[in-house]
Amino acid sequence: MLDAILGTAPDAMVIIDEHGTVLHFSAVAEQLFGYAPSDVIGRNVSFLMPSPHREQHDQYLRHYLDTGIKRIINTGRVVEAERRDGTRFPMQLYIGEAVTGGRRVFTGFIHDLTERYAHETRVHELQAELAHASRLSAVGTLASALAHELNQPLTAIANYMSAARDLLDAPGEDQLELLREACAEAAEQSLRAGQIIRRLRDYVSKREIVRERVSIARIISEATTIGLVGAREKGVSWSIDAGRAGEVMADRVQIQQVMVNLMRNAVEAMQASPVKKLTIIADRAGDDLVEVTVTDTGPGLDPDVAASLFQPFITTKRHGMGLGLSICKTIVEAHGGELEAFPNPGGGTIFRFTLARALKETGDDD
Amino acid sequence: MTTEKLVHIIDDDEAVRKSVAFMLRQEGFRSASYESGEAFLKAAKQAERGSILLDVRMPGMDGLEVQQALTARGVDMPVVILTGHGDVEIAVKAMRAGAIHFLEKPYEKSALLMALAEAFDHIDRKVTHTLEASEAQAKLACLTGRERDVLNGLKLGHPNKTIAFDLGISPRTVEIYRANLMEKLNVRSLSAALRIAFLAEAAPSSPSD
Repeated sequence: MLDAILGTAPDAMVIIDEHGTVLHFSAVAEQLFGYAPSDVIGRNVSFLMPSPHREQHDQYLRHYLDTGIKRIINTGRVVEAERRDGTRFPMQLYIGEAVTGGRRVFTGFIHDLTERYAHETRVHELQAELAHASRLSAVGTLASALAHELNQPLTAIANYMSAARDLLDAPGEDQLELLREACAEAAEQSLRAGQIIRRLRDYVSKREIVRERVSIARIISEATTIGLVGAREKGVSWSIDAGRAGEVMADRVQIQQVMVNLMRNAVEAMQASPVKKLTIIADRAGDDLVEVTVTDTGPGLDPDVAASLFQPFITTKRHGMGLGLSICKTIVEAHGGELEAFPNPGGGTIFRFTLARALKETGDDD
Repeated sequence: MTTEKLVHIIDDDEAVRKSVAFMLRQEGFRSASYESGEAFLKAAKQAERGSILLDVRMPGMDGLEVQQALTARGVDMPVVILTGHGDVEIAVKAMRAGAIHFLEKPYEKSALLMALAEAFDHIDRKVTHTLEASEAQAKLACLTGRERDVLNGLKLGHPNKTIAFDLGISPRTVEIYRANLMEKLNVRSLSAALRIAFLAEAAPSSPSD
């Protein structure tokens, strides 16, 4: 009767005693983990969880029985579980405690989160695409406005110079005067074109910067949510070590943009590599600086490409605009830092940039 | 009475106005400059007949609006449109509204002179609209189905790449059709081809659309 009722519960249910021995394994749990009740009843429950919980579960139980401190009981949390075939899945685990006939038992309710996580991953991907697209369209708008503005002096220069060219066919005293006028006007218009470009550089590099004291570890970790979406699926593994770097004075959003760009480039570069490992390290460099390196195990930079790496509108990507790294460099330099690239001794490329360390330290050692 | 042809220059950029006037003076044109569409419309009724060089992107009235206002007021001067890079869609709209030519800034001097020559032809010939329309239709009748498809794409202001995608053929093939249809229509510029296409639409019994 009880089994029949429990069999109708939508979540998987596993009941253990105070030694961790499995007493009951519901039908849904059977489906979820791939074990038959006969395989599991009487065994220690720890085989349903991956390391390190597998080795430590007995300790968790003992700790609770000794101290009475509830770490998971009645609160629930998200953990990973391991199926019979060794694959893992995320689950929401809720544990209840009951005493029946002088025996203490623990009931685990397990809700499979695989589908929800898949949805969330997709949502993250879409958000990332959107963020990328909007950034691209912002750059596109800027480029179109720039093109329009530059066209005016260029048109004037072309008008003056082509008129001057034809004046040279019949040089006389009158023509010389006109030639002088055409050349002077054309020269003035080319200076105007230069000013337009300088204005754009100022716009990109200075005006938008809002410097604040911010943890570089936080910037990096936030950037990973956009920069590394889909990277795991492409077989890329990564490690991030930024614990000792502390705080920098920087525009959080702009430096995030730099990190996102470098991460995406690295992931893309490793597409066809046998080893796909991304290493991000932030650490102090001297007294005043923080140094961030992004290292990939891709094919490395072609020497021809390396020379023009940071120039705008030069790209090796089929759909790229060639703006990513040039914008990154502009941003880093506007922060008073430097961005450079060099070969990874073990194969691949290292991008390294520096930022000013925040002066007064406020607990950046934790 | 003067024999020099008059060009009305309408552009918000002073350097462009001055430089065009400078160049045209060398070539024996007279010019009058206006810093906005509004300024020209004020003067248009009393203005001497000439060709109009009209910039598309201007604060206030843009080129297309100026063109519409001129039509509405019965000012019948030929218009050559100046566009920035990537404004082809707007230029095509202007062609549909009756512009003679469009030029992308910056342009070659010879291209501007050719466009103006055509514009002044228009004033001199005073051809009736219906005659040209039937003529244009006859020319279009020589095109193959695919050539007509490509021309229809161009009429929408689409670049070769988009036309290729829509028709399911390669951009290179679009280029070939485009070259063929230009040859059959006996034109040397996209705007001349468009003018024929738009004129044909005005014919009484158009076989297409």
